[in-house]
Amino acid sequence: MQDTQVKDAVDQVRSATQQLHKAISDAAAKRGGAAKADLEAVPQMAKAAIDSIKGSMPAQNEVAKKRLAEAVTYLEATGKHAADGVKSSGKEFQTSVRQTIADARAAAQKVSEAVAAKRTAGATAGARK
Amino acid sequence: MRNYIAVVFDDTSKAYEGLHALWQMDDEGAVTVHGTTVVHRNDWGEYQVDSKDTHPALATAVGVGIGALIGALAGPAGAAVGAAKGAAIGAASGGAVGAVADLGRADTRDESRYETAWVLGAGQSAVIADVSEDSTFPIDERMRILGGTVHRREWSAVRDDKWFDDRSLYPYDGYLSPYDYYLYPYEYVPPYSPWWAS
Repeated sequence: MQDTQVKDAVDQVRSATQQLHKAISDAAAKRGGAAKADLEAVPQMAKAAIDSIKGSMPAQNEVAKKRLAEAVTYLEATGKHAADGVKSSGKEFQTSVRQTIADARAAAQKVSEAVAAKRTAGATAGARK
Repeated sequence: MRNYIAVVFDDTSKAYEGLHALWQMDDEGAVTVHGTTVVHRNDWGEYQVDSKDTHPALATAVGVGIGALIGALAGPAGAAVGAAKGAAIGAASGGAVGAVADLGRADTRDESRYETAWVLGAGQSAVIADVSEDSTFPIDERMRILGGTVHRREWSAVRDDKWFDDRSLYPYDGYLSPYDYYLYPYEYVPPYSPWWAS
């Protein structure tokens, strides 16, 4: 039962980071004010994802914990660059959007690696039984 | 083990079935998919990656070119050629050169025994993915049923390619590779493109 709850928690975190990346790349595909308006929601989304990760971390194995901690770092950068983007324009805005996408992509990847680490540990434990 | 895979299909709609099947396998926990994209090659030999409408900022992020991606997955020489020649030119030459070079490499290195050379032919499509898999069987079997042929290259081998050290190719982040910008971390199916019919 506990394993199911842990799996659900990590899967929810993964889903949140995937949604974050999707929201940012959708915003990046828009022009001018529309892109900026969408970007305004990103810092809050990133913060929510960070809170979810922190809540799910204690029950993870060491490898997964490390990956999730790295994801938090990238999510913090995602929120910061998105906030910078909202306040900027022109080339600075484009740079912020680019950095925000890169950070969100890296965060999603780190959470995905945490999922893989958890699954591998589960498969190894299952094989030993 | 972690691998980049390319699943080649003769039919584009089958490639999207393959894409869906991969994410379904991830959902079932059989494998973990870190990112995917679908690449097409038309009858004139040109490549296209399905992606969202490209904002200038995003275009810069993926500027290394699909040629480099395909070349790198086909083999180390392909990566060098793909990176050197850039987008469309690299795509045309990188994949083929990489494939030929890797045939020799696979003969001499045990660790690359499951790496297979491949070339995306005109009219074909491929699902490109970054996956963690405990066994190659689940993906091989599911894709075989769909009519796809799976090719693999070790994730670490691609990362070790010498040209990959060129930071100017991906200056925005120290962790992601240029390829990662092409690979969506979720199932992304774009609106219909006329390329699909080629």
